[in-house]
Amino acid sequence: MNAGDFEKQLKRQALRQIPSEWRAEILQKAEASTRNSKSAETQNPSWLSTLISHLSTILWPHPKAWAGLAAVWIVIGSLQFASSDHTNRLAARVERPSPESFAILRQQTRLLAELLGQSPPKDADRAKPNPSQPRSEQRTNTRIA
Amino acid sequence: MPAESDLQGVYDEHAQALFAFLLNFTRSEEDARDLLQEIFIRLARQPGLLSGARDPRAFLIRLAHNGAIDLMRRRGTRQKYHEQLAEETPTIFATGENPDEAAFRESLSRALVELPPEQRAVVHLKLWENLTFDQIAEALDLSPNTAASRYRYGIDKLRERLRPLYEEIK
Repeated sequence: MNAGDFEKQLKRQALRQIPSEWRAEILQKAEASTRNSKSAETQNPSWLSTLISHLSTILWPHPKAWAGLAAVWIVIGSLQFASSDHTNRLAARVERPSPESFAILRQQTRLLAELLGQSPPKDADRAKPNPSQPRSEQRTNTRIA
Repeated sequence: MPAESDLQGVYDEHAQALFAFLLNFTRSEEDARDLLQEIFIRLARQPGLLSGARDPRAFLIRLAHNGAIDLMRRRGTRQKYHEQLAEETPTIFATGENPDEAAFRESLSRALVELPPEQRAVVHLKLWENLTFDQIAEALDLSPNTAASRYRYGIDKLRERLRPLYEEIK
């Protein structure tokens, strides 16, 4: 079988004709779509549609990569949320010590200090000497006392 | 938008070739129509699309090819689509009056379906669009050497497949 003859034989086979009714339908739809897109352009696009349009332009070249990145961020976010929730729940579960407990603790600390021969810790609420008084007068008052 | 008459002119000049290519590539009249419609919508919306093309026919075939590839990807793997095509197999040829010729066309149509889509596209453009390998390379975004080798492989397979029938009708 001659290669050239075979190719010529194939070339001779007439292809199917495009259905004639398609012409009007396809051209009408193409023109209608242009009119629709023009009328959509004339309306003020919302900021959201503008944002989506810009984003899709940026994200379109590698949609899978961006989707993967978004998925990673979602996982990180959910892990973060789960861990912070757990800490809050733990903190809420611990009861705040009562004022009586504080008083007992303070008394025990003072007793321990006396046993060890140290001066008792200064109370935070003890009145401080008047800072407006000059230091020389303070010394005089001490001597008089 | 190109003037209405421009779009009509483009249709009259290229639609038949695009239809034949798409029908051979997709083997579905419905898909060929949808893809053809998409191309013309795009042409209507982007007025300068064809004016920048060196070879409008090659450019339009490239649009058609890309559209068909996207369609196949949307539907799943090429292999799956290929199997589906083998089951449907609508003919891409005009109905012949001569029974021998009709039988040959029927067999040729089936043999074309068995080719991988890339080989089928090259064979179609070379045989029935009379494009050069450079034009085919431009249209299908491949090198001229690849286009030539795909054509050769495709023709060899068709010859093997159709040898008995061809010898009979010769």
